[in-house]
Amino acid sequence: VTKRKLLPTRAALTLTPSAVNKIKQLLQNKPEYIGLKVGVRTRGCNGLSYTLEYTKEKAQADEEVLQDGVRVLIEKKAQLTLLGTEMDYVENKLSSEFIFNNPNIKGTCGCGESFNI
Amino acid sequence: STKTCLPSLSFPFHPTNGISLKQCSSSVLQKDYDIKSSSGKLNLSDACIKKLQEIKGNGEFLRVLIQGGGCSGFQYKFSLDNSVSEDDRVFEQDGVMVVVDKESLNFINGATLDYSEELIRSSFQIVNNPQADHGCSCGTSFSVKL
Repeated sequence: VTKRKLLPTRAALTLTPSAVNKIKQLLQNKPEYIGLKVGVRTRGCNGLSYTLEYTKEKAQADEEVLQDGVRVLIEKKAQLTLLGTEMDYVENKLSSEFIFNNPNIKGTCGCGESFNI
Repeated sequence: STKTCLPSLSFPFHPTNGISLKQCSSSVLQKDYDIKSSSGKLNLSDACIKKLQEIKGNGEFLRVLIQGGGCSGFQYKFSLDNSVSEDDRVFEQDGVMVVVDKESLNFINGATLDYSEELIRSSFQIVNNPQADHGCSCGTSFSVKL
């Protein structure tokens, strides 16, 4: 009899309630899209910056995060850099944006858009 | 009694002051508006006007400020304010108001204020700034042409 091994698993990305609400709202009238896709791009003064787009299908290499009924896919390239990141949505009168609280980063740009690992 | 209308408005106004807030603010605005036409220009994009119409209320307006900082030397700051001071230039269009102080206006003279809406973020931005040499990718920081 082999003992079943239990390994803890953690979602690659966690969403805050406000991010979940916003994504639900964004996808409400767009049945053609299955969710949002997060990626990183080499851009900005600190090396990398996040990208976010609607996605119609899950590519084979994409990591899928399902939380509270919303689906966020992570591009293959971004999986290592995003591991353990919390995705938040912040809104005020002047601006609204998705913010990534990434524990892996070493430095950011003043505007918070660009970062390095 | 002698009552003077202070150029910078501070809130809350004292009710027994004897000056009507409306009179006071409009004379200040008028003055700034006149100076503005002689020097300095800030264009407002349609998207920016639309957003400002949505958020205005309680006499608040958008203030654009330039600060040292960011990866390219200077950065744009946006805030809501409700007092105009002597150093300010007021830009009014379609019922919305944007205020820039003289000092900051030198850095963005001729630029366009835009409200960009993207999936990842929506925010006010200064675009096509003829005073800026090159900027950061995020658009909040820039360096000045020498």
